[in-house]
Amino acid sequence: MTSQPTFGDFLQAAGRQLDTAGASMTTAANGDVDEVIQSLLRVVTVLDRYARDATFPFDEVAAADAPLLNAWARASIDARQALANAAALLRHRGPPGPLEGTPPATTLARHLDSAAVSLAAGRDLLETHFAPGPRGGRQLRSDWAPAIGSPPVTRALLSELASLAQQVAAQGAALAWSPLPRTRGTREDRRSLGAACQWLDVFGATIQAAQQDEPTPDGDRELLHAIPLNALPPRRVPDGSEPVAGLCDGATGSALRARHAAWDAAVQATWSPGTSVTSLRRVAAASTLTSYHCEVLLRTLAARTPEAAENRAALLRAADAAGRARASWLSVANALKQVTTDTPGYVSPAAAEASNLALWTGRLAYASPEWTLVSGPAHPARAPHDLAPGTEDIPAVVAAIHHSCETLTQLTWADREQIRTAARAGRILVPTRSLPDNYDIPHPYAHAPLGRVDSLLGVYEAAGAANARTRDAVADIAEATCAPSRMLTAARAAARARPDDRLGVERVRSSGLPVQGKVPDLPGPVESTLRELGVTASDLLRRGAKIDRAGERLISAAVGEGQSLRRGQPGEQTRQRSAATAALINHALASGDSRAIALLRGQTQRQSEPPEREP
Amino acid sequence: MNRIVSAENRLREARDLPAVLDAAYNAFEDMLPVFGAYEDPADGTFAAFVMSAASAADGRDAILFAPSLPPHRLGGPPAPEHEAQPGDSADQAARALAGLTRLLAARLAQAARSAPDARDRAACADAWRDARYIHVLLTGAEP
Repeated sequence: MTSQPTFGDFLQAAGRQLDTAGASMTTAANGDVDEVIQSLLRVVTVLDRYARDATFPFDEVAAADAPLLNAWARASIDARQALANAAALLRHRGPPGPLEGTPPATTLARHLDSAAVSLAAGRDLLETHFAPGPRGGRQLRSDWAPAIGSPPVTRALLSELASLAQQVAAQGAALAWSPLPRTRGTREDRRSLGAACQWLDVFGATIQAAQQDEPTPDGDRELLHAIPLNALPPRRVPDGSEPVAGLCDGATGSALRARHAAWDAAVQATWSPGTSVTSLRRVAAASTLTSYHCEVLLRTLAARTPEAAENRAALLRAADAAGRARASWLSVANALKQVTTDTPGYVSPAAAEASNLALWTGRLAYASPEWTLVSGPAHPARAPHDLAPGTEDIPAVVAAIHHSCETLTQLTWADREQIRTAARAGRILVPTRSLPDNYDIPHPYAHAPLGRVDSLLGVYEAAGAANARTRDAVADIAEATCAPSRMLTAARAAARARPDDRLGVERVRSSGLPVQGKVPDLPGPVESTLRELGVTASDLLRRGAKIDRAGERLISAAVGEGQSLRRGQPGEQTRQRSAATAALINHALASGDSRAIALLRGQTQRQSEPPEREP
Repeated sequence: MNRIVSAENRLREARDLPAVLDAAYNAFEDMLPVFGAYEDPADGTFAAFVMSAASAADGRDAILFAPSLPPHRLGGPPAPEHEAQPGDSADQAARALAGLTRLLAARLAQAARSAPDARDRAACADAWRDARYIHVLLTGAEP
């Protein structure tokens, strides 16, 4: 749908290089062993970096605890050791030189260098989804990032690398043991190359063994290959000449851009001018229209589908869900009329792109090629057979709707987080004229009363749930029609695994054994607020962290003493509705305290499914 | 449409800057329930009304930051009988609102040129943009 490069492109490029090298070995199994050692070391170095990324949770697992890890976890540790051994054997002549100047004369070395470059580029592509985080960790920078670090994708990655490693091992070994007249190199170099290739073979065999224990589904490999470069597609505006396929492409690109902007907006600092009520209103208004356009498109597709077809009912159900999502966005838009911010007027990238998405989806939904947001009176919807002349045209339309619905869902969560952050900094205001007469404030605006902020957050919560239901309904259709966007669903499913559960480290943790893995130690709400205010003094940050820990302990202690709150009590109401307590609850959940989780997770799960309002 | 008619009258009658700002603030505020009364996507004006409502709130907020805006509504709160009356069709409402935004844009443009305080001028210019945009959304033409 978009021309973004994917991880699969680089993996396949590396594979092609090795295939070509393998084919040439039969006729030209000759060359300079030293050159091959240098090139193989480049490949092994990249493989080792991948393996380190995959196995970092086990860095500090005690050796005695290793048997408690699952097969994949143990295999990945062993595999990493095998790569380290291979690298040590190849490095006896020093580190590999830079890939500059004249390419090596040996065919295998040239192909290995090319494969190393492709693999390194692939890893760079994965890294675009992360940024350096606080305390040496990694910060997620896209909605793909949680999937990239997930167990299914990690297993698929290790499987692919193992396959490549075995291919390399066979080619290197063939050269190492080939008859002397055809190969240049000392006996020691040949022995080092041969031994290193054996360790590469061990790497592959170790992962294969884990595969036999718990096979990697094809879908996980497909997901790995589909991971895109985390870069903005160029901004485009429809010019009226686009065919339906071009409109689908444009809508998908715009949805990607809006998601990217939403992701950035959700993590911006409390003082960011990007949090403006103008932007929030633009997003809400544009998303109301996009939801409506998705509803129109789904009904048009349903009208194009034979009555007896199973997809028709699913399309109509999804259209109804889109109608409810549209109503939920209208509620958000109406709630936003009641507040303002200290930086009105600024239009954020997310807001601009949300409007662009409404334009692209409108062009797709309506028959007029000149439809715009200011077109005024009613326009007829596009005819069903114009939207998708053949069944082969349906997946692209479904993918455009799917991407749009995914974006709308993320916009609700991103904007809710912005409001939560802005409210914490006292940046949500109300016109004093809108307050009851007993408020005697000599200014035209004042801080929004807590109830109004909580009410606004509640409306966003409901909109998030309604939009998620629409997205899920459309995701089912995407799966049924094999739309290219079905990878979105696979990525979300992969990301659902908790980060701690990566390849089995949770098994060690739950056994009660001490584990000092690099589980993210995130700052709590007080420490976060201090950092966002620009406080850098370590004693103040330490005190903030202590207050956060004390809050967690208090919650845990309350649970431990059986002070669980029953549904409907005033305390629970307050806890559900307060932005400040939400931050504390989230932090307590992240702390991993099982008692806190037992109480609070049940609570948050209930919160995530509020009653749905009919349109 | 009583609200809209009253808002137009107040704008016409406003003589000094505080009165213009007060009338403009109230005009934007009075548009909001009218837009809210026509949220049916079956109406041809759905897209224009949804976008216009956001701009009306933005225009109101822009004036909020004008130092010369009186802290309280001049003439007190609106009379109850002036609430939105969704008995009219969406097209009728759009025409009435278009008339109001044309006048609103004119008065704000004038205030943006003549207000002595730069912050008042900036607020009026921002609000003028919103009034103008609403007019374009409702009619497809500049005011």
